[in-house]
Amino acid sequence: MKLKFRTFKGAFALLSVSAFLAAGCGNNNGKKTVDENPTVVDTSGTIININGELFSIPSPIQTAFLIKGSGAPYSKGIINDPHKSTQYSTNFAKALNLGIYGADLGYVTIYDQSQDAISYLNSAKKLSDGLGISAAFDAATIDRFTKNLGNKDSLLVLVGVAYRASDAYLKTNDRSDVSGLVLAGGWIESLYFTTNIYKTKPSDEVKLRIAEQKLSLQNLIKLLTPYYSQPEYTKFVDNLYDLSTVYDGIEFKYTFVKPTTDAEKKMTTINSKTEVKITPVQIESIAQKIKDIRSQIVG
Amino acid sequence: MKKGILKLVLVISGFAIVNIASAQISDTVASVCAKHFESQFISDGQQYRALLMNTDETAEFHLTLYGGTLYRIAACSGLRDGDLIFSVFDTSPEKNLLFTNKNFKNAPYWDFKITNTLDCIVEAKLDAEGSKSSGRAVVLIGFKQLK
Repeated sequence: MKLKFRTFKGAFALLSVSAFLAAGCGNNNGKKTVDENPTVVDTSGTIININGELFSIPSPIQTAFLIKGSGAPYSKGIINDPHKSTQYSTNFAKALNLGIYGADLGYVTIYDQSQDAISYLNSAKKLSDGLGISAAFDAATIDRFTKNLGNKDSLLVLVGVAYRASDAYLKTNDRSDVSGLVLAGGWIESLYFTTNIYKTKPSDEVKLRIAEQKLSLQNLIKLLTPYYSQPEYTKFVDNLYDLSTVYDGIEFKYTFVKPTTDAEKKMTTINSKTEVKITPVQIESIAQKIKDIRSQIVG
Repeated sequence: MKKGILKLVLVISGFAIVNIASAQISDTVASVCAKHFESQFISDGQQYRALLMNTDETAEFHLTLYGGTLYRIAACSGLRDGDLIFSVFDTSPEKNLLFTNKNFKNAPYWDFKITNTLDCIVEAKLDAEGSKSSGRAVVLIGFKQLK
């Protein structure tokens, strides 16, 4: 049987409604008024669940690694101003910019900019507090971060853990829409990084990374489409759809090669190859569209 | 009337209790899962979870794995390891199997060295021969850059 994701909440919501109906119809001469085999409605409040699928968006930290590896110098011009955090008043803006600051935090950390890292951490904390996710950036996390300044690897692990904690908290509390926006913000910022770096320091690696966002963009759209009817989401999702029309024209050719597994090391090497064809016009179009989308978010 | 209100209160209380219990179960499973990579791998910032109602159900998610990266996928369904089978497929029409932990005693985590960026599908399901007939599945993904 193909999957049907359900949550305890979803299942219990059904039971609750059933029980409530039973309570309301309790004097019906003992006749059962509740279907013994009710259709379970897939409400799935606590997991991302659209047609039984979960969607993954790659960490923006990975793209920051690629940019550093490309030899591009540190540039404050491609990251958002941390002091802008106070100007984001709606939950929609806070969530998107929490994702953006997460990507920026990863970027400044990879470039060993400790003081900037503290500023971005504080901005992320302000926004997460505003969204009611204080636990993700609590005093203990800030303290651990401060104590590990200078230890890039530890800092990046902490950033990942904090963002995963906020993701878990939001899903647990039926706020998958907000969780989706945080992921969207991080994804947009990392694509903004790559398109900017490609302009100043073009390389095949960065070009590939721009093209490789096709599935992630599709995932992002699927993740946010359930909230499309909410006014703030409508324009945003439309913009993502518009961006996806450019990605539709990028060609991928995949060749399966048998993977190799080392059981002792618990490791499998994936040997398959993917060839990508992306044109300069497509890159320019993506760069322009992502710049426009980002500027609407960061203000 | 009073009886009706009492029943309603009981139903709402029950809902609240299950709500809290559900969250706690997910968090507990996730913390068990996280111990498999916390200090070595950077989390992708997401927690993937699904309630599997029986051993026929499969949780599925699509992801991009970047070339030049070592990934660790950890999959758990309870306080002990080994009840969850997870498999990785490519997204070609043939849906080639790239890995399944079923061949390795349902190992709770596995590393993937990615040479070329790859779109893939991860599926997770409860082992019909395991100790659980239903449960919360949690999958976590961590990464580190290859030099």
